Amino acid sequence: MGRLFAVEIVYRGIFQKNLAKNISRGIALAAKHDGKVGISFGRYGDSPERNGIPAKNFAIVATDDETLQEGMAKYEPKEVDISISVDDTLCKGVESWAWYGLQPINRLLKPGGTLIVTTMHGADPIITMCHRKEFPYRLALLTSIPSFSGLWVYKDDHTDVRLLGAIAKVLPDLFSLTSVEKAIREEWHDELKVKSAQKAYERISTRVVSPAEGNPEKPYEFELPKWYELREGLAIPSIPAGKAMADPTTQQTGGFRPDRNPTFKKYATRTMRPVVDFDTCVKCTLCWLQCPDSCFDVTPDAYYDANMEACCGCGVCEAVCPVTNCITMVNETAFADNASQWEMWKKDKAGYQTWLQEKIQHKPERSHGFRIRGQYEQQIGTMVKDGIVDTGTSGAGG
Amino acid sequence: MDAIETLPIQQLDAFKGVKKVPLEEYFTSGHRTCQGCESALVMKLMVKAAGPRTIVLGSTGCMYVANTTYYSTSWVVPWMHTQLGSSGSAGLGTAAALKALMRKGKMKEEPINVIAFCGDGGGADMGLSAISATLTHPQYNVLILLYDNESYANTDIQLSGMTPYGAHTTFSPPGKAKRLMHTRWKKNMAGMLAAGHPETKYVGTVCASYAVDMMNRVRKALMIGGPTFVHSLDPCPKGWDYDPMLSHELGELAVETGIWPLYEVENRVLKLYGRSKGIAEKRSKRKPVRDYLLRQGRFAHFTDDDIDYFQAKIDDMWEKWLIPGVIPFWKELEKDQPPA
Amino acid sequence: MAKVVEKAQQEKEALISGSEAIAVACKLADVDVITAYPIRPYDTVMQYVAKLVANGELDCEYIVAESEHSQFEIVKHASAAGARVFCGSSGVGWMYAFEALTVTPALRIPMVAMVGNRALDDPGAFGVEHNDALAVRDLGWQLVWVDNAQEALDTALIAYRVAEDRRVFLPCAIACDGAFLTHSQALTKIPPQEWVDAFLPPYNRGDLLLHPDNPITVAPQVNEDWLMELRKHNDEAMKRSKNAVIPEAYRDFERIFNRSYGNPFFEEYQTEDADIVLVGMGTLSMPVKVAIRQMRKEGKKVGFVRVRWFRPFPAEDLAETLGRFGAVGVIDRDYSFGSPHFSGVLATEVRAALYPAAKRPPVVGFICGLGGREVTVPDVRRVSEMVFKAAGGETQPFITWMGIRE
Repeated sequence: MGRLFAVEIVYRGIFQKNLAKNISRGIALAAKHDGKVGISFGRYGDSPERNGIPAKNFAIVATDDETLQEGMAKYEPKEVDISISVDDTLCKGVESWAWYGLQPINRLLKPGGTLIVTTMHGADPIITMCHRKEFPYRLALLTSIPSFSGLWVYKDDHTDVRLLGAIAKVLPDLFSLTSVEKAIREEWHDELKVKSAQKAYERISTRVVSPAEGNPEKPYEFELPKWYELREGLAIPSIPAGKAMADPTTQQTGGFRPDRNPTFKKYATRTMRPVVDFDTCVKCTLCWLQCPDSCFDVTPDAYYDANMEACCGCGVCEAVCPVTNCITMVNETAFADNASQWEMWKKDKAGYQTWLQEKIQHKPERSHGFRIRGQYEQQIGTMVKDGIVDTGTSGAGG
Repeated sequence: MDAIETLPIQQLDAFKGVKKVPLEEYFTSGHRTCQGCESALVMKLMVKAAGPRTIVLGSTGCMYVANTTYYSTSWVVPWMHTQLGSSGSAGLGTAAALKALMRKGKMKEEPINVIAFCGDGGGADMGLSAISATLTHPQYNVLILLYDNESYANTDIQLSGMTPYGAHTTFSPPGKAKRLMHTRWKKNMAGMLAAGHPETKYVGTVCASYAVDMMNRVRKALMIGGPTFVHSLDPCPKGWDYDPMLSHELGELAVETGIWPLYEVENRVLKLYGRSKGIAEKRSKRKPVRDYLLRQGRFAHFTDDDIDYFQAKIDDMWEKWLIPGVIPFWKELEKDQPPA
Repeated sequence: MAKVVEKAQQEKEALISGSEAIAVACKLADVDVITAYPIRPYDTVMQYVAKLVANGELDCEYIVAESEHSQFEIVKHASAAGARVFCGSSGVGWMYAFEALTVTPALRIPMVAMVGNRALDDPGAFGVEHNDALAVRDLGWQLVWVDNAQEALDTALIAYRVAEDRRVFLPCAIACDGAFLTHSQALTKIPPQEWVDAFLPPYNRGDLLLHPDNPITVAPQVNEDWLMELRKHNDEAMKRSKNAVIPEAYRDFERIFNRSYGNPFFEEYQTEDADIVLVGMGTLSMPVKVAIRQMRKEGKKVGFVRVRWFRPFPAEDLAETLGRFGAVGVIDRDYSFGSPHFSGVLATEVRAALYPAAKRPPVVGFICGLGGREVTVPDVRRVSEMVFKAAGGETQPFITWMGIRE
């Protein structure tokens, strides 16, 4: 038997669907130019995808057809040589919409495998977000603003080909940079994209992550019941009605906290979260009323506290809030926990203001989908100008 | 002649302002819809308006697949799946059971709301026949709510009979030979049902960007008795391709451009309401459709001609329709062709 | 268990068709919601139901739907909300409802439906074939064939009892041959209400009731982590129906109504000393029985097994019974194009049931009476001759189309 390679691309549903497909297709095509055979597929259960909910694509490559069959007709491989996280907030963990439990981003990595993350951060904050692994693995960072767009208009900031260049560097056995160049010319007919891949190949560097590094928490799991433990008639109990909340400082009860689906939390769906300036809140109710995820707990003193168990980070609350700077969406990487902001504010209002002002500095760096025609071209221009991406030329591409 | 007997109905008076909206949620967190899903908001507001003594039937679509993934749910009230084209039948069957069992003393008599929802594919395409039939049964109290995100969004954004002219979907990708693969105009669903079912006591259009207005229409539809229909336009970040943060704003723009008229036919009396009333009475000016279309990736391939055509059709709707925004009979026939 | 009842009460006799008999059963069962849509021949049952409702004899919500799909979906949901329901169809009408038919057993809805067996289009035809009802044979529907109005009435009551048993909660279709049963009137005993009440407890949906007092979510979307486990539920329910609930229901029926059906799953006719046996379903039993009587006068010992319950299929009982004979002739009023040996559905099932049996007589298959063509006494005699040859060791074709012009 020959050698089997597996690469997974973990991405944000819809926002990065086209990007992930480009990457896994690019891997299969580059492997072809390297004399290997490969397939590209999305994890079936992630479809239909939802905006922001984590999803996966895979590229399986083998040195011969017979070996390739080992990797076919599966929903996902059991282990991978490379995991690519095209959004750094996914390093906090992955919960697909059709499965239960939080999967660490590095879960499928083989010993010595490489996690590639597109991020503007350095290695330390990324490692802090990733769950610990029992054996060492390698981390490679591709400096980039995580690329988000929608289904119909693609943000062609060259993240796809830059990752192909990076893969050629971290796993040269899979394919060479020359094969990547050939694949790009074949698929995209674009010399600028070839240059971007070359530059990424030159710039990517890796470091080893030891078992002692990373988030020590055990990710929440879910055990599947046996068939006779399930209620017949396809029925499950509804969610109980919610109840009043208690104020931790005054012990006053009131307001309302809805009961929530206990088996699906939105920790892995967010790329940003709202922070609320309770001092300026006018209690207009709009954030609470317009939230599609019912994530706001109504406190006994009639404030609205975004519960991080339920917030998916859509930003509608910021959009509908009538008070300037009362609700601000902040990059999810700026947070290490999911604690209640209202409780923090109740306990120490001055301390909360300090915390709040620091958090507000972390504006979401990724765009969050289509806003107006021409927007992506403008953003790509800025990225090139700022030197975030390097095409080896000036003025275009990334 | 025998009287048409109905079960008692709940007293669901309008919420007088946002502060009067109850805190309780009957559709709660932990569904798996997209970020900024307006249809999930519609579910929340719909059942918040209806209250706890409500049974909800949901036909296949996003609000089935994403809301209720086995072994978990987001519903507090009883909820049951129904087939894609069966919202009308599901509501009718449930209401009929309650009526039979309560009349025959097999179940305690009390007013229970029955709401069956469908998406645009399930409602305006496949389920139209069953919805139409249900609206002709005056003795059953049932609300059919159509959440219209203008495509088969769950299955991968394929065009439906409710997808707007020219929009990019997976079944209508703009290409080199055909820039516009989809040249059908959206069905006028609420107008058709109101005009075609003279005994139906309530037909209304809503948009969740106007949450209190929307909930009060649901309450009217439930309280008036008999079968009723509410059609909600729901911006869809996935299929329409926009930043999920803008869901609320796009709903407002749909109304402000005149593309989505807000009206109700209550006990046979037609009333436009909200911003649409101002537009009809020429007190407020419609915003150009360009402001709406160019915020969405699904129209990113539109040329100026396409936008002009779209604008002209909306202008017709307000200037030439016999009842502006509602009934598309023209005062006089004129030629109407898409641009070449 | 059913209550003890006064046997002093008398059954009334009436001249009614199979369809009317089932309508009478609906009245006796105090059905709550019934939906109708026209298609021949089953619709006769709904015409009788409509009269019962109009005359105040049956108190139910009687809804004329706008299609068979809606017809079956309406009662499916009514049943989920706690109502006893009745529905039915024929031929392509049944097929138009197929999506609803598919989800009904999966949702554990104890609907009782009548299929007035009719050939499937195209070409349009009104006559009987069993393919319509057989189309749901793999989906969790209980399927029972009857051959006279009395049996139709009794079986409808038994069907409610079995379907609504909490151990089962699966729908049951009563298949009645178009014309020969649906449109043919015979003297039928109508039991007093008290007996029915003693036999048939009220429908109690229990913890599956869709009601604000029992908040549940029914039928959420699943992925591959769940579906095998959920399918297993229905497999077990079907086993409980066959092994416990159907036999119990027939025992109680015999006790309360004083009418015995012997083995619940199939009728045996003149099998005690038979050398060969014929197997079939539905009203072809009439010419078969006539032919058997004729042949017996000539010394040819032929028996007949009429299968009632096709789902659950009584494989072990049937195999043991058929093992007593020199050869088996299966008469199918259906087709299964491209199936093993290009056979009929029943013959294929009978062969499968016999495969693990200790005694496996040869099985000869016949396709007869398609599209409502009469199965004649000479047809049955020719069938029997071939089966006798098979019993004598002379190999016969696996399948023969009998009564076709050639």
